[in-house]
Amino acid sequence: MAQVSSKLSANSPTGPIETRWEKHKFNMKLVNPANKRKHTILVVGTGLAGASAAASLAELGYKVKAFCIHDSPRRAHSIAAQGGINAAKNYSNDGDSVYRLFYDTVKGGDFRSRESNVYRLAQLSTAIIDHSVALGVPFAREYGGLLDNRSFGGAQVSRTFYARGQTGQQLLLGAYSSMMRQVSKGGVELLPRREMLDLVQVNGTARGITVRNLVTGEIESHAGDAVVLATGGYGHVYYLSTNAMNSNATAAWRCHRRGAYFANPCFTQIHPTCIPRSGHYQSKLTLMSESLRNDGRVWVPKEKGDKRKPQEIPESERDYYLERIYPSFGNLVPRDVASRQAKFRVDEGRGVGQTGEAVYLDFADSIKRLGKDLVVEKYGNLFDMYEKITGENPYEWPMRIYPAVHYTMGGLWVDYNLMSTIPGLHVLGEANFSDHGANRLGASALMQGLADGYFVIPYTLGNYIAANPLPKVETSHAAFQASKEEVAQRLKKLLNINGSKTVDEIHKQLGDVMWQRVGMSRTAAGLKTAIDKIRVLRQQFWTEVKVTGENNFKNSELEKAGRVADFLELGELMAQDALIREESCGGHFREEFQTPDNEAKRNDEAFSHVTGWEFAGTADKANWNEFREPLNFEYVHPSQRSYK
Amino acid sequence: MQGLGSSGKCGSCGWIGSSIGRKQLIGITGVGLSLFVLIHMLENMLILVGARPYNEYTHFLTSNPLIYLAEGGLLAIFLLHVIFALAISWTNCKARDSRYAVASNGPKGTSMVQRSLWAQGLLILVFLILHLISFKYGAEYSVDYGPGPIRDMHKLVVEVFHQPAYVVWYVVALIVLGFHLSHGVGSSFQTVGLHHPRYQKCIRALSVSYALIVALGFITEPLYVYFIHRG
Amino acid sequence: MAEAKGMNLSLKIWRQAGPQAPGSFLEHQAKGVTPDMSFLEMLDVVNEELIRSGKQPVEFDHDCREGICGACSMVINGNPHGPQQATTTCQLHMRHFKDGDAIVIEPFRARAFPIVKDLVVDRSAFDRIQGAGGYISANTGAAQDANAILVGKKESDRAFASATCIGCGACVAACKNASAALFVSAKLSHLALLPQGQVEREERVVNMVAQMDAERFGACTNTGACSASCPVEISLENIARMNRDYAKASLKRR
Repeated sequence: MAQVSSKLSANSPTGPIETRWEKHKFNMKLVNPANKRKHTILVVGTGLAGASAAASLAELGYKVKAFCIHDSPRRAHSIAAQGGINAAKNYSNDGDSVYRLFYDTVKGGDFRSRESNVYRLAQLSTAIIDHSVALGVPFAREYGGLLDNRSFGGAQVSRTFYARGQTGQQLLLGAYSSMMRQVSKGGVELLPRREMLDLVQVNGTARGITVRNLVTGEIESHAGDAVVLATGGYGHVYYLSTNAMNSNATAAWRCHRRGAYFANPCFTQIHPTCIPRSGHYQSKLTLMSESLRNDGRVWVPKEKGDKRKPQEIPESERDYYLERIYPSFGNLVPRDVASRQAKFRVDEGRGVGQTGEAVYLDFADSIKRLGKDLVVEKYGNLFDMYEKITGENPYEWPMRIYPAVHYTMGGLWVDYNLMSTIPGLHVLGEANFSDHGANRLGASALMQGLADGYFVIPYTLGNYIAANPLPKVETSHAAFQASKEEVAQRLKKLLNINGSKTVDEIHKQLGDVMWQRVGMSRTAAGLKTAIDKIRVLRQQFWTEVKVTGENNFKNSELEKAGRVADFLELGELMAQDALIREESCGGHFREEFQTPDNEAKRNDEAFSHVTGWEFAGTADKANWNEFREPLNFEYVHPSQRSYK
Repeated sequence: MQGLGSSGKCGSCGWIGSSIGRKQLIGITGVGLSLFVLIHMLENMLILVGARPYNEYTHFLTSNPLIYLAEGGLLAIFLLHVIFALAISWTNCKARDSRYAVASNGPKGTSMVQRSLWAQGLLILVFLILHLISFKYGAEYSVDYGPGPIRDMHKLVVEVFHQPAYVVWYVVALIVLGFHLSHGVGSSFQTVGLHHPRYQKCIRALSVSYALIVALGFITEPLYVYFIHRG
Repeated sequence: MAEAKGMNLSLKIWRQAGPQAPGSFLEHQAKGVTPDMSFLEMLDVVNEELIRSGKQPVEFDHDCREGICGACSMVINGNPHGPQQATTTCQLHMRHFKDGDAIVIEPFRARAFPIVKDLVVDRSAFDRIQGAGGYISANTGAAQDANAILVGKKESDRAFASATCIGCGACVAACKNASAALFVSAKLSHLALLPQGQVEREERVVNMVAQMDAERFGACTNTGACSASCPVEISLENIARMNRDYAKASLKRR
């Protein structure tokens, strides 16, 4: 039976929520400016969270080593975020406030997040905008020169700052430029094309990492006083997702195996308007802005297996199912509802397109009503993108859309200081589980990554360093040598299996199991089957996979193999977590737990907690212990939503 | 690939040591040379008027003591243009250490004219040397229109341009000069930083028409002499 | 719409085992290619075949596969990112090719982009140029309210247009001189067009150009091949602005 673990103590400050972060900052110990340069911080990952952390820590005077798997830190997948970034500036004079952003985030997360963390996030949101503008991020402007805001993801207020459809790119380039400034000043040492393959602990604290040089294959040790992990989410466990091809969970998973608890792994977000896959070779799904649902109508044929062209299907034989089931919200129901309904239609055999795994998003009525020119103005770039990928003209054919995995709310467990259950190991951005609860609001991922990196870690890491004796550790220490040896052995093992299946083949099979059974709609039976299937796949992987080449020069297959091996364990944990969470909330929908209206039915009595998983397996065997961090809601009281 | 901790900086080279500074020098000297060839072409047009004005103008130019200053300046501009262009072409050539198997093509391609600017320049250099040998340092005929004997340049020109091979070479060289100018004039605007979406088409048109006028003007002379002015 | 059978293509791909190893073209066959595949997915299929037959797959850089990360970087039949304009290799689809086509695939070639393996090159020179001045020196925590700086919508939109550069290096690959002028000028322009960027404007252009030259990129001949090859259509106007700012800054420098 699961128990409350003392390791999962949130260390949240107490008192009025508005003053907690202020109070906490004052109570934290400071590092003498002259001493900062004596401390080395290892920052892994250079997306929004990692780059902003590396830059800010170096500005304070710490010696930072920044690692990324890409050829350049600017390639991190934060670059692909489209929509925007929320901030409680209330520039729109429409009643926004820090408290409202806090409230919306807790509620949007379906009451599965920590109030103190969320409040701090809302407080820091405004400073992110100020700093980003100072760095030259070209946010959209009004004609008078002030910043423009839009409403996003169903929010009642306009609090989203954006840079056309490339907000993530612009914010990342801002953080990257700050980091590169520190690189040229000598504050940050940049180590690109390095993959973290192990965490090194000395006396129970995180003191270093073992990385593989992806160009030469060399296994390197790096020692420091603390490790900051900002390596993103694990959506690529589904193989097909909107994540990048190199997005992976390996760094986080290696830390998990070394003792960092993994929290709420089953909370995944599915985005309803993605371009569906066109064949087995498909490698990646592309997201299209949700704004399309403002004017497009979603439908499928009423008949099963109707293979006619969409234009040939008369109105009377179309099922505008969202408008039918949710008359008041219609096509604008929340992401998870729209996604699930699409899946139900496909499962009924009413999906469209060659694969039958899609529904129509039709603009014919809008073009009639608004005129083509207005539609071009509003959605032209999205239509062009759709046409580029599918070769179909969306002005003449309805678009085909289908949901895809987009973001993972779960991640390594961290306390209020963003420190994991391993002292010294801090986790930022999507890699941690902290602020979004069971579901993330649109335009909040960028906010969280940057809040963690620019404004939280510079304080809390200082406190950790000031409060703990950190005797100097060299990479010649036995712990580093042991880790290096272990990493080398594992790589050797992967190369020596020499079976007949490619890494991608197994990854695709894993993805299929995950998508079918641990995707947007889950059942106990399905999850149990998934666990069995994943175990079989894992077994197959370690006996039948074929990894070509050697551990020298660049070897993408070897890189992928290590990542898929970890996904094969993480996938099982996700299913375990989904199985024991006998309720539906946010991105976790259990078919057994729904209202008569097919709405998610939470169980606050039994599940108002964070599940933290401790790895209890061995090198060859995965096994976990379940622990809990109870959640208390002092300000925002749990309520049930309805979109009917 | 090591960490990016330090970066080598070329601090003291300054403007003239930089790729942009050198390009700007080439552009500015190029503009000077373009103006020179335009004027030279117009002077050559005097051949259409007659032998006497042609020779008298030549005499006026060459007897003016300022000519040495002008020639010196022109030579300096020319040498700067050539030397820096060669230097930068060499740098450019080294910037790509392995060649593509397939050349770029379609809208992403680079035209032959743009790829061969250095070769055009070398050809023009050779032409220029031969040109000086043929004319400036060619046979010294003389003619007397009254005030005393002056050089009969007209006679020399007519003589030279009655050799078909020379005419062909001259025409080819000037077509090459035309191509060189058609890129160079517009390019020098861009290099010194003059670019505006509204005026880009004008600059392009100016560049091409300037090249056409200069090249056609120059070519007129040998063709006129060879085909019409049979002496 | 996708055909069931698909096309067969013969590929000539540059294979090079490592930075110092000699490279050469190898013939590979791509079978059953469907029009809806992206170019990289076509290569995925080729690689799966190679792995099954115990051969080394073709290494190429790729990541987001939606045209924004700038990782993909190959030259297809002579053109960086292939024949389509305003398109990255990952967004190039096989419907632009036909059955029986021969396709030559090479890495970006430039002295400043040494080959790592096969089609993978080292573009860290871009990072060093960025580090030489591609930033506004503003430490975290010191900024005033975001709306205290007014930026006209048009200026902001122009700065944004320059800031959309994805840093892929196609401009260098396309340029006959392997010049980085378009990349460098896009970053310079992004910051030069904003009020926040004015304080360091002159120093920035001098330092970034010096680093660009130190990286051994060639000079700009204004052919425009860079802009024509740019997946996000960065304008040549940026290069003119860089040239102008550079001359001004150099002349004023003490």
